[in-house]
Amino acid sequence: MRHLLILVMLAAVPARAATPTPDWPCVQPRQSHLSLGQVWTGPPPPEGAAETPEIAALAERVVQRRMPIEEATAAIDAFAQGKDAETLALLMQAIFHRIDMQRTAILGGISRYGHRQVALAARVEARRARMAELEAADPPDFDAIDAEEEALDWDMRVFSDRQQSLTYVCETPVILEQRLFALGRALAAHLTQ
Amino acid sequence: MKHALAILLLTVATPALANKVYVTNEKGNDVTVIDGDTLEVLGSYPVGNRPRGITISPDGTELYVCASDDNLVRVFDPGTMQETHTLPSGPDPELFVLHPSGNPLYIANEDDNLVTVVDTKAHKVLAEIPVGVEPEGMGVSPDGKVVINTSETTNMAHFIDTDSFEITANVLVDSRPRFAQFSDDGSRLFVSSEIGGTVSVIDPASQQITRTIRFEIPGVLPEAIQPVGVRVTADGKKIFVALGPANRVAVVDGDTLEVTDYILVGQRVWQLAFTPDQKHLYTTNGNSNDVTVIDVATNTAVKSIPVGQQPWGVVVAPN
Repeated sequence: MRHLLILVMLAAVPARAATPTPDWPCVQPRQSHLSLGQVWTGPPPPEGAAETPEIAALAERVVQRRMPIEEATAAIDAFAQGKDAETLALLMQAIFHRIDMQRTAILGGISRYGHRQVALAARVEARRARMAELEAADPPDFDAIDAEEEALDWDMRVFSDRQQSLTYVCETPVILEQRLFALGRALAAHLTQ
Repeated sequence: MKHALAILLLTVATPALANKVYVTNEKGNDVTVIDGDTLEVLGSYPVGNRPRGITISPDGTELYVCASDDNLVRVFDPGTMQETHTLPSGPDPELFVLHPSGNPLYIANEDDNLVTVVDTKAHKVLAEIPVGVEPEGMGVSPDGKVVINTSETTNMAHFIDTDSFEITANVLVDSRPRFAQFSDDGSRLFVSSEIGGTVSVIDPASQQITRTIRFEIPGVLPEAIQPVGVRVTADGKKIFVALGPANRVAVVDGDTLEVTDYILVGQRVWQLAFTPDQKHLYTTNGNSNDVTVIDVATNTAVKSIPVGQQPWGVVVAPN
């Protein structure tokens, strides 16, 4: 058990020291929510102003990760022509809310992932104990030992595959943050004009 | 014709005087070199595993890189970017500071709770100084008599005598101190605290905290404000503080110690370096994979330059 837990903890080389836990198995520091000011220095969006259908539609499109960032930037450039700073701020807010919501959902998923790994580690340990018992029995039940061994192999394999994916899983919030920042930068370029 | 060509060649050759900027890319395992005049990338060069801290000798002939996962310091010719030799560093070197004379080098070993002192000429360890838990930030006084080490977990700035290699004082600062920087006249020491979200201003003579600088950015959650790199202009009039995931660099008035500006740069802004004329300040932005050039006079970001994967440290060649 202890070995597997250590493996969970040391999944990736720490980039910035954060202590991984089942709730947050990543080495990246957990930041529950982003803030608009991390990506935007333009005016705040007007109080109570609602998204127009045009803004909502554009925000939906550009936050999709499958859209190359160059295309998203071009779409923002096209929209921004002749728009005032408040309208740009509204689009920024619309993009921000969507990406922060996606990101929050992913943080929840990472937490579930961490707990599943810990549960799997516990199961592997239980199977090992059972194996030891079976092997110690006299006479040994070789069929039972074979079955337990196979189950243990599978669990170990799933565990280590998931552990390897953890590096990528933990990068996902950062990838969303990078997209948000790039979109913010594209939009901010129209503020000074 | 011959004259014209010669003049042309000479003119073309002049930018060699330009100050080159060297950026370590922690994940890319390389250093990006930027031309300080044209702000163009000249190239990137492999420098070992997980390069973080970077500095250059006062005469500009040796470039030092903490290769954290190689457990040593790699030394390069800044002109060719060829490795000339390595220096022993102790395990997991992260950040270091060079004595103003160029020798020795003081290295923080995060995993071993040590500061390793290395002779840059003889290439050997002079001393290992036990400090607090997870040593990280390193600063040296302008007269070279005191080295500061900050320990992340102990939350202290340790004052180390560079003659005796003994700790002479400990100052308790806010949570997870990251970086220590003296003003050029040696009268003030600034220590940033990443989790505490503050910069402590310390009087080096009395080793007392005289002021705590706090940061508040409209529209940014307080937990995103994590001070790391600190630089002070030569006249002490401006203090620049990199605020990590807030993506901003704070400008602090050197007289009032009030924040006057928060410049939006790139994501997870980490370390800072001035050009020798202090007209520009370079910032490394770890998550947006770029560096931002700040105009020091106007407090504005003038350009962002894409570099390698996860830029960490930066140094500018001296004149």
